[in-house]
Amino acid sequence: MFTTLLIIHGLLAVALLGSITHQTAAACWPATSKSSFISSFRGVAGARYTVANIILYIVTGVLGAVIYTVYRIAVRPYLETAQLWTVNGSFEVKEQFVAIGLGMLPLYWMVWRTPLDAKLASARAAITAILCFIVWYSFLVGHVLNNVRGLFGR
Amino acid sequence: MSITRVFPIFAAAFAIVYVVSVEVNWALVTYHPRINEWEWLTRPAKSGLPMYWYGWLGTSFLAASAISLLALPLTRRWSPPVWIGWAVPLAVMLVFVYLLRSFFLR
Repeated sequence: MFTTLLIIHGLLAVALLGSITHQTAAACWPATSKSSFISSFRGVAGARYTVANIILYIVTGVLGAVIYTVYRIAVRPYLETAQLWTVNGSFEVKEQFVAIGLGMLPLYWMVWRTPLDAKLASARAAITAILCFIVWYSFLVGHVLNNVRGLFGR
Repeated sequence: MSITRVFPIFAAAFAIVYVVSVEVNWALVTYHPRINEWEWLTRPAKSGLPMYWYGWLGTSFLAASAISLLALPLTRRWSPPVWIGWAVPLAVMLVFVYLLRSFFLR
């Protein structure tokens, strides 16, 4: 069951990664035309991603919290035995970042409410970029951990 | 009086209470994964390492909600700046990197 949950957790994380990266690009580097691939990527209506991102963040986080128990019992002791301190520490940082991101979700929703408040443009960009960083960092750390024995197995 | 006005305070309070909860170990609940047992508040290990992360989240959520509710009447005359809602969490993230630096310096 945990393997299935881990795969669903990973798939939802991929969806969130794409969605919040689009929104961050739209907030931090808005495009007025869609003449190229890059400007099309940046030229999305960012506000339309907000609710989906919040739901994906919470559901992915809840699934991560469920499979965290298996990590604690099976994976972390291995990391300690194998002395993979950087990998172990990366996960410790991830769990704290994800928690802080959860606390920012109500504010994230507020700054993306439509009609968009022009005075909140910089806050919108900052908050979305922080959440985007948390999602990218968490995804990469999770990906390395899923493959830790293959990458660092001794 | 809109509740959304306290959201910057909630985000900042959540981050501060969270880092304090982790450092002081104020967990609302403790989970013992090996024996699948939950307990209220911070409890010592029973069998294998206990998990406090869920408890730290619970503590932070309750405390940040209480602080936000207390601040709500103040927001009738004072609008909390939105930047505290992202600058404080960002600072707390950096604090965590500092606190966990020993993992990366071995």
